Amino acid sequence: MVRHTDPPVTGPTRVLRRLTQWCLAPLPAPPAALRRGPMRPEVFRSRLRSPRLTSQLGVALGVAFGVCFITGLLSHLIQHPPGWFWWPARPVGLYRFTQGVHVATGLASIPLLGAKLWSVYPHLFSWPPARSIAHAAERAGTGVLVASALFLLVSGVLNISRWYAPMPFFFTAGHYWVAWLAVGGLLVHIGVHLPAVRAALTRPTREPRQDGLSRRGLLGGVAAASGLITLTTVGQTIRPLTGLAVLAPRHPDTGPQGLPVNRTADGAGVRATALDPAYRLRVTGPDRSVSLDLAALNGLPQYTADLPIACVEGWSATGTWTGVRLRDLIALVDADPGHSTALVESLQTGGRYRACTVAPEHVVDPLTLVALRLGGEPLHIDHGYPARLIAPNRPGVLQTKWISRITVREPR
Amino acid sequence: MKTRTGLVIGGCLLMAYAVVGATTDADLAPAGVLLFLAAVLVGHDAVWMVAVLAVGAALTRVPPRCRTTVRIAAITAAAVTVVGLPLALGFGRAADNASVLPLPYGRNLLAVLLVIAGTTLLACVSPLRRPRAADRKESERPGGGSP
Repeated sequence: MVRHTDPPVTGPTRVLRRLTQWCLAPLPAPPAALRRGPMRPEVFRSRLRSPRLTSQLGVALGVAFGVCFITGLLSHLIQHPPGWFWWPARPVGLYRFTQGVHVATGLASIPLLGAKLWSVYPHLFSWPPARSIAHAAERAGTGVLVASALFLLVSGVLNISRWYAPMPFFFTAGHYWVAWLAVGGLLVHIGVHLPAVRAALTRPTREPRQDGLSRRGLLGGVAAASGLITLTTVGQTIRPLTGLAVLAPRHPDTGPQGLPVNRTADGAGVRATALDPAYRLRVTGPDRSVSLDLAALNGLPQYTADLPIACVEGWSATGTWTGVRLRDLIALVDADPGHSTALVESLQTGGRYRACTVAPEHVVDPLTLVALRLGGEPLHIDHGYPARLIAPNRPGVLQTKWISRITVREPR
Repeated sequence: MKTRTGLVIGGCLLMAYAVVGATTDADLAPAGVLLFLAAVLVGHDAVWMVAVLAVGAALTRVPPRCRTTVRIAAITAAAVTVVGLPLALGFGRAADNASVLPLPYGRNLLAVLLVIAGTTLLACVSPLRRPRAADRKESERPGGGSP
């Protein structure tokens, strides 16, 4: 038999091969005397744990986190749109749907993550702790993935509970960047464990009879827990289930004029200026400006639209809003609504959401209103009296309240 | 192999993007994020999981014919409590905003837990439920119901 020798290895390939060998070289085993406590063999004896169970939970969790990541990224892009991003004004309730799915899926993931981490908990105490540099790196990556997954769910629950004291960071930014960390860690995790997952899911297995709880029983229990969490919370955005939403942080009917409020006039520090009879809404175009008091705004053609307030926290509620079309106000200053962007500013003197930019797709939409009334009554001050923005398919934080100024920007 | 290499390299790049983004974001204190990451990891692995294993071990004392049902009930109750407890504690309530956390969450959480307990009890005493062979022989098995 003739054996072909490998071609000579030189340059970067050689360096890479040596690096790989170095990473995979066995590390010296730690003294056996250190193998104590949970690191002893046979400490975790439940026969319920198996690669198949872990793989099935992992696939479900991967799908759930994928849904949360995509919907969360979408919400971030809508609030901080880069130049290439485009978000339509229709369908009216698209953001309501995507953000409702984001929060509901995150909540439903809690039992999934709990069961997944339980199924792999013995690996935390595997012996030796690191077989090689590569093994140590893989374990560190898993630690980052577990920490970031826990971070996302715990911070998400604290956020919808509006309990910010335990979080020593700005929630929105922390949740966003750790989501990237989690997705990166998830991809690495899948890349490392893909053969084992494939084998566990495709290989027929004869599992021993379990001690009471079978794998299917556990999966059923996790599904029941996810279902119960969903049933008791999702009514904050799905109206027919409101009666069951006993653990929903918001109730779509509870609030001034039957609609929840995120930021009150007192919280925003605008009560005095909003109630000032000298209030004027100033609309500034490229060539001219107008200043309108409340009577002048009421004197303009009024339109009514049923639009939801869809909060980033996952709740939503529909109101019947009446007011002036934004495009009509922009036409008042001789600008073309179809090609204009509007900067809408609040009476607030500070805060992250004191102003928002309305893209041409929303400016030109006939449902985008500077609302003066809710349910036929003048706006409650906590809903933005004397005038607020309400537009289709936008997050609640971009529906600026207590509007003081609209600046029409150059056509793009 | 190419797929796996691509996943690992892509994942590492995304993690690097997250680290760079978090450290350059003016709205974010990376030390606070690191602290919270460490806190949830240690809290889960050293406190929560130990409690879960202890409860799991305690449930081995439940009669075998009810053990499966009780375990499923415990999983469900734990998950619902994780969601409901921050609401029940009510630290997020705002004096000037009655629409925030408007429900009596402590009472509601208790009611949900009671429903879980009641359903479990009914399932255990139901005459329709037959003990499985595995349940009957449970006590003969070594290591049954270990953490």
